[in-house]
Amino acid sequence: MTAVVETEGLTKFYGKRRGLEDLDLEIRPGEVFGYLGPNGAGKTTTIRLLLDVIRPTRGRMSVLGADPRDPAVRGRIGYLPGELALEGAERASAYLAFLGQARGGVSRDRIAALAERLDADLSVPMGKLSKGSKQKVGLIQAFMHEPEFLILDEPTSGLDPLVQQEFLAMVREVRASGRTVLMSSHVLAEVEQVSDRVGIVRGGRLVAVEDIAVLREKAVRRVELHFDAPVPREAFEDLPGVRDLRVEGAAVSCTIDGRPDALVKAAARFTVVHLVSAEPDLEEIFLAYYSESEQEGRHARAGV
Amino acid sequence: MPVLVSKSLRDYRSSLVRWTVGIGAFFALYLSFYPNISENKEIYGPQALAKFPGAMRDLMGGMEDFTSGIGYLSSVVYQLFGPMLFIVCAMILGNRAIAQPEESGTLELTVTLPIDRRRLVFERFVALALGLLAVATATFLLAWGLSVVSDMEVPVGRILAVHTGVFLLALFFGALSLTVGAATGRKGPAMAVVGVVAVGGYVVETLGKSVDAISWLRWVSPFHYYLDGRPLYQGFPVADYLVLAGATVVLLVTAVLAFDRRDVGV
Repeated sequence: MTAVVETEGLTKFYGKRRGLEDLDLEIRPGEVFGYLGPNGAGKTTTIRLLLDVIRPTRGRMSVLGADPRDPAVRGRIGYLPGELALEGAERASAYLAFLGQARGGVSRDRIAALAERLDADLSVPMGKLSKGSKQKVGLIQAFMHEPEFLILDEPTSGLDPLVQQEFLAMVREVRASGRTVLMSSHVLAEVEQVSDRVGIVRGGRLVAVEDIAVLREKAVRRVELHFDAPVPREAFEDLPGVRDLRVEGAAVSCTIDGRPDALVKAAARFTVVHLVSAEPDLEEIFLAYYSESEQEGRHARAGV
Repeated sequence: MPVLVSKSLRDYRSSLVRWTVGIGAFFALYLSFYPNISENKEIYGPQALAKFPGAMRDLMGGMEDFTSGIGYLSSVVYQLFGPMLFIVCAMILGNRAIAQPEESGTLELTVTLPIDRRRLVFERFVALALGLLAVATATFLLAWGLSVVSDMEVPVGRILAVHTGVFLLALFFGALSLTVGAATGRKGPAMAVVGVVAVGGYVVETLGKSVDAISWLRWVSPFHYYLDGRPLYQGFPVADYLVLAGATVVLLVTAVLAFDRRDVGV
C-alpha cells in the first residue's frame, strides 16, 4: 500500500525565516499520526503545505498518492485549521451545507448526527459562537464527508473534557474503519491516547518519529509499593531502570524509567498490600526526548 | 449555479440590498429636485452655469445644461456621484472576494475545498458581476421610473445606455480591487489602488479636456470610456464599453494567475 503522505526534503521559507526544513515524513494508511512540537515549530506549516494552502520552497510531496495541487485530492481530505475563522451572521448549519455541497454532497442527517454527538448548536450565527463551539463546527466539517484522510491542526483546543473524549472516540472510529489521521498538538497528552506514532518537530525540523509504545517505554513513572511488613533496602537496590529509591519501613517509593518489570519481580518476593503507579508525566517524557535528541545531535556534531 | 457563486451571493445579499436602497435613495433625492429646476430655467440656465470657473465646470462634466431632462441626468446624476457610489459598492464587493476573507482567515478553509484556485477566483468574480448587475438593474428601473414621473422626456434606451456604462465602470473597479486583493491578500492596497485610479482617472478625464499636459492620460482613464461617448446624448458607445469590458477581462486573468501561484494567509 502506498503511503498517505510522503515528503522528501520538504522545505518552506517565509522570506528568510525558516518555517520548515528538509522534512522527510511518511504517514502510513490506517494509522493515527501525532504531530508534536511547541508553537511555531513548523506543524502548521507542514499541514498547510500538505493542503496546498502554501507552496514549498523546495522538496517533493505526495498526499493520497497525488500532488496536493490536484483539487480532487483535497476532496478526499478532511481538514480542521489550527486557527479556525468562522464569522458573520451566517448560521453554522448553512455554512456546513455549503462545505458539504462543495465536497460533493453530505447528507443533512450525517451533519445532524455529528452535531448531536458533539453537542453543537448549529442554529446560532457563527460570529456569536464561543471558541469551543467554533471548534465543534470545525470538527463536524472535517469529519462529515467521511474523508480518507483527516488532517487536524490542534483539534482539541478549546474543547471541554467531555467533548474531547467524544472527539477521541471519533478518531478511533476513523482508524477502525481503516482511514488515516494526522493530528497536531503542542501537548503530548492530547494525542497520546489515540496515536500509533508520533513525530516531534522543533525549530522547523523533524527531530524524531517514534511508535507511541516505544515512547511510553521511555516513560518516567512514580511508583509506590506498600508491604505487610518492613522490607530490606538491598532487595530493591540497583534494579535496572529504578531511580530515586526510598525505603521507609514497609513502604517503597521510586521512579521508573521505561519498563517496571524488574521492580515488580523484586516486589513479588514480599507481600504487596498496596500499589500506586502515577500516570507517567507525558510532558516530562516529551522534554526528556527533546533534550536527548539534542544531545545526540551535539555528539554527532562533535564526532563522538 | 456553481456552489461558490451561490454561496458568495448569499454572503453579499444583505450588503447588496443596502447598496440598492442607498443608491436608489440617491437617485430619488436628486431626481426630486428636477421639476423645480426645469421650471426655473432663468435661474439654472446656461447663463447661470457659465458663471462658474472653467476648470470647475470641466470637473463637473461641463455643466452645459441643467434644465433639460438629459442635461440634468447627465450632469447631476450620471456624471460623478452616481458612478462613484457604484464604484465604492464594487470595491467593497471586490474586496470580499479574496482579500477580506484572507485577512479574517476564512479563506483558508475555502482554498482547501476541492475547487481549483483559478476556479475559485473566477466564481468569486462571477458573484461580484451578478451582484453588481442586480444593483444596477434595480437602480436602472428606479431611474427610468422616476424620469417618467418627473417628465424628463429621456428615451429609455439612453438611460439604459448610460446605466450600462455605470455598471461596466463599476465592474472594472470591482475587478481592480479583486485583482489587487488576489495578488496581495490585503484590503488596504486594494482600496488604495481603487481610490487612486478612480479619483485620478476622473480628474484626468475631465480636466484633461482643457489641460494639454495631461490630455494624453485620458486614454488610460477608465472614466474616459464611460464619459467620453456621452451615452445619454448619443446612445451606446459600443467601442468604449468594449474597452472597459476588455480591461476587466485582463484584470480577471491577472487575478486568476496571481492567486494561483501564491501562498494564502501568510
